[in-house]
Amino acid sequence: MIPLGYFLGFGVLLFALGLYGVLTQRSAIRMVMAIELMLNAANINFLAFTRYLYPDDPRGAIWAIFVMTVAAAEVAVGLAVILVLSRRRQTIDVDAAEEMKH
Amino acid sequence: MERNILVLLPQLVLIATSFLVLAVDLRTGDRKNREAELIPWLVALLGTVAALVTLPLWVGQGEFWGRMWQSDRFSLFFQVLVFSVMILVLLESAEYVRSREIQSGVFYALILLAGVGMTMMASSRELLTIYVGLELMSVSFYALVGMMKNDDRSNEAAIKYYLLGAASSAVLLFGISLLFGLTGSTYLPEISSKLSGLQGTAALPVAWAAVLLLFVALGFKVAAVPFHMWTPDTYQGAPTPVTAYLAAGSKAAAFAALIRAFSLGLPTLADLWQPALTAVAVATMTYGNVVALSQTDVKRMMGYSSIAHAGYVLTGLAIFTPESLSATLYYLLAYAFTNLGVFAVIVLVAGRRGNEEISSFRGLGQISPAYAAALTLFFLSLVGIPPTAGFLGKFYLFFAMIEADYTWLAVVMVINSVISLPYYYNVVRQMWLEPPEEANVLPAGTAAGQTAATIAHRALLGIGPAVAVTALAVLLLGLYPQPFIEWVRQVTLL
Repeated sequence: MIPLGYFLGFGVLLFALGLYGVLTQRSAIRMVMAIELMLNAANINFLAFTRYLYPDDPRGAIWAIFVMTVAAAEVAVGLAVILVLSRRRQTIDVDAAEEMKH
Repeated sequence: MERNILVLLPQLVLIATSFLVLAVDLRTGDRKNREAELIPWLVALLGTVAALVTLPLWVGQGEFWGRMWQSDRFSLFFQVLVFSVMILVLLESAEYVRSREIQSGVFYALILLAGVGMTMMASSRELLTIYVGLELMSVSFYALVGMMKNDDRSNEAAIKYYLLGAASSAVLLFGISLLFGLTGSTYLPEISSKLSGLQGTAALPVAWAAVLLLFVALGFKVAAVPFHMWTPDTYQGAPTPVTAYLAAGSKAAAFAALIRAFSLGLPTLADLWQPALTAVAVATMTYGNVVALSQTDVKRMMGYSSIAHAGYVLTGLAIFTPESLSATLYYLLAYAFTNLGVFAVIVLVAGRRGNEEISSFRGLGQISPAYAAALTLFFLSLVGIPPTAGFLGKFYLFFAMIEADYTWLAVVMVINSVISLPYYYNVVRQMWLEPPEEANVLPAGTAAGQTAATIAHRALLGIGPAVAVTALAVLLLGLYPQPFIEWVRQVTLL
């Protein structure tokens, strides 16, 4: 069987990749995709821990289901916000939205 | 493990009301009738009052629904706080929503659902419920912030809040998944007992990483430096009642989750997070106050002010004694009412003058001395000058600090209060010592025929009661604090 460490390493890499994407990408859609990677990294952790360490406890799997459901709701609202951005400015580059200055 | 539907009654009332608001809006929404537009607002207001009224049916301490729901004095405190905040926010919204292109039904339904999320965050010791509550609140806020579809600033605020907020909840989840792996549980007392067994093992650094991730995510919601980047833009761009809701409600709920998670789930790692939290608190209050000095937009200024206050509140958790946690709750109470009062006056002034520049407060003392006096009182409270709620909140925090040998932190906080004085004073000075700008009195797009005088004297529905209630609360919490202090003391006996 594949050792637990491989799954956890994969989870950490996926999380780091997502975080990198959120911090570097300027396209709103790409940032949303990067956030999805981070959420999936958490899910992989939950499922791997459940399978390897707590096989009799369904809680990790329940978490994964909740995360997927909530993420779908979050993306639905987020895409609506991005849609308004693209309608008003004909771009989804988040740097286009910088009317307010520090 | 008891199942009792009564324990969820306030939340159920709010959810039912939010559906009712949407249904009512379908019936009345498309009519160009100004009075009909108030019906969804009235339903939302009555529903929130009903939720507050059901609280005396409190079923007592205990855990319900398979440990998913915790009913105790802590959850009761935050339900009272959140429902009061909601009522005041609704009072401030009536004219604001009516005079702008905002779909009133959706707006009020989302306000109610965000409130359900906030109370969920305070009413559980299970991270799953806290997470779902946090998301319910956040998703509602993403939409509320961007509610003005024809306003570029509102959209910009929503984009920034959404992208950073969604990333921060992913960070929270990753932290929780690490805690789950270490302890096999997401139930806070169980996490705490399992973590104390990990002391000195190789797994401890993983626990540190989890604590860091949890703090990053919740620190984002309370607007702690360095996770505050969204705050000024979102506060400035959001509809003003939503800004008030963010500052008073969302911040209090995030602190509730932070206090629950750190004091119940992670006390064994307190040696690690106490110094870190103290450093973050000092950085947060100093940064917020210093940057607020140079702001010209009053909502943006209040954004930085809210960062500074997040720093003050964080000190209470950083010290981590029963007394300091009580002081934290007292401060949250004082801050919520003070802030709602400030935003009520901002809604009023912006409604009359069409913008939220600090200069539009010029001469408010002549036009409406009562509101100017109230705003002066709220600013005194934010600085921490007696006889106001803010003074007592700070005083109580100082007391807890000195008792816990954190006197230097009290000194830093006093210095910060002094730094904050000029930017509040600037607004007060413009209100009382400068003449009103006649050119500013007529907002752009006002129908011809309305004179400046009628606009200046037109009462805005709901604003008067909101200012009166918050001003009374600020004075009451400042002059007659004993019952409230006893209340928060009982609350923290978790």
